Amino acid sequence: MRKKAALRIIISVILFAVIFFALQRLLMPKYMTESKEGAMIQEYYQNAGDNDVVFITDCEVYENFSPVKLWNEYGIPSIIRGSAQQMIWQSYYLLEETFRYESPSVVVFNVMTMTYDSAESVGDQSKMEAYNRMTLDGMRWSKSKVSSIKASMTKEEKEKSGIWSYIFPILRYHDRWNDLKEEDFRCFFKQDQVTDNGYLMQVKVNPVKDDYPRIPLVSYQFGDICYEYLDKIRLLCEEHNCQLVLVKAPSLSPIWYDEYEIQILDYANEHDLLYINCLEHLDEIGIDWNQDTYDQGLHLNVYGAEKLTVYFGQILRDECLLQDRRSDSSLSEKWTEKTRLYDQRKERMEKERDQEADIQP
Amino acid sequence: MKKRSLLVFASLMIAALLMLTACGGSKEPETSGDDSSDQGGKLVFLYKDMEIAMKEDAAPILEALGEPKSYTEAASCAFEGLDKTYYYGSFYLYTYPDGEKDRVNMVVLCDDTLSTPEGLAIGDSKEKVESTYSADGYNGVNAYVYTKGDCTLTIIMENDKVSSIQYGAVFES
Repeated sequence: MRKKAALRIIISVILFAVIFFALQRLLMPKYMTESKEGAMIQEYYQNAGDNDVVFITDCEVYENFSPVKLWNEYGIPSIIRGSAQQMIWQSYYLLEETFRYESPSVVVFNVMTMTYDSAESVGDQSKMEAYNRMTLDGMRWSKSKVSSIKASMTKEEKEKSGIWSYIFPILRYHDRWNDLKEEDFRCFFKQDQVTDNGYLMQVKVNPVKDDYPRIPLVSYQFGDICYEYLDKIRLLCEEHNCQLVLVKAPSLSPIWYDEYEIQILDYANEHDLLYINCLEHLDEIGIDWNQDTYDQGLHLNVYGAEKLTVYFGQILRDECLLQDRRSDSSLSEKWTEKTRLYDQRKERMEKERDQEADIQP
Repeated sequence: MKKRSLLVFASLMIAALLMLTACGGSKEPETSGDDSSDQGGKLVFLYKDMEIAMKEDAAPILEALGEPKSYTEAASCAFEGLDKTYYYGSFYLYTYPDGEKDRVNMVVLCDDTLSTPEGLAIGDSKEKVESTYSADGYNGVNAYVYTKGDCTLTIIMENDKVSSIQYGAVFES
């Protein structure tokens, strides 16, 4: 009798857990059609392993470098661990996690991230909280994720439910029941891939119109916390025999001030790091601001990203001495499939763009 | 026995419901405009008798200002809406999206043809800044920063002269 009772209680608890976690899964945003950036972090796990290059940080990498192009031009397998407004501590913990899945030879870090040292530097805190969720919810549970959550939470998040809303995201998303969309049901078990090895494709063309104003700042000094985490990233790379390459993507806004450049050059010189400021190589890259951007020079579209990738691949090959691995048949097979999906996505998006243009007067 | 297991299951469900209703979180955390630094007055920029206050609806202001000399826009990563910058020759006006509306985010004076409502202009001396506003806002390096309500007035100095005057919206940290 007692055994039966215990069994019933166990079944009740299991049933409760199943309903609870199913509900939680349903209510969590899937980021399939809007804010696709929120789906990027979790996509990594399907593509992890055997990448020689890992790009980390924010939109200045995930919209400007194309891993599929890098493979097809140079035979260098790569992946982007990017997310919207990724803060440097998040980059560090993502990288720490990445080294548990693979052993890249090169890590490419975009230095614009050095200009964001707090939630306030991003704007209003509700945005920062949303950005936090997009980077953190998609990570698998590990010590790195816990540390990243602790380092990232805004003041309001800490005061409200703290880490508990990350452990049980239903605490954060319970009022989404009214906003559930078709994708919440369709992607309950498996989400669509929104990127190509971390690259978020854009095909529209929206040329640069005017220069972005260079408003004077009170301080151009990178925050101490940014240097602290850049040091950690550098040491982590050293520990894993991996070359850290600093890069400034060719984005025209936010402004990359000369005072920023000096600080990065000093850091790169001090630690003997390769630093490429792509803004100084626009002609070599071949960027045409009338054709190669989808948002007036903030990010590149796929045509610009492919040009930048061809340029940057030469550096990876010649200066980082990465080998062409296209003769590796299993790797080649994997990337042939990735290329097929990439081309398919490009074709579909171009078609949609053209149809949209036909509809508009 | 059946009753007991039903009771356990029901208790768990009630506990979960209580947990969810108790937390009372909103879909997007609310931003509050005011803080303890509000001393009753407010900091606004005046242009041809038109008050341009931070976080105000930008539409009527932009309409009154007319065609800008130049315009740029920037989408926030992952969010709908655009951060917009309008250039009117002697000042820049920045807006940020807030639902259906654009709100004033920043006003930056570009030259000495304009001054603040209190009479400070680019090129003025450190003494004038302190007599016009106060010495309290000095950051000890190169700027005077005054916050009242939704606005921060930042006056950047170079060689003891005002080199930039900026009104910026205050967002809760």
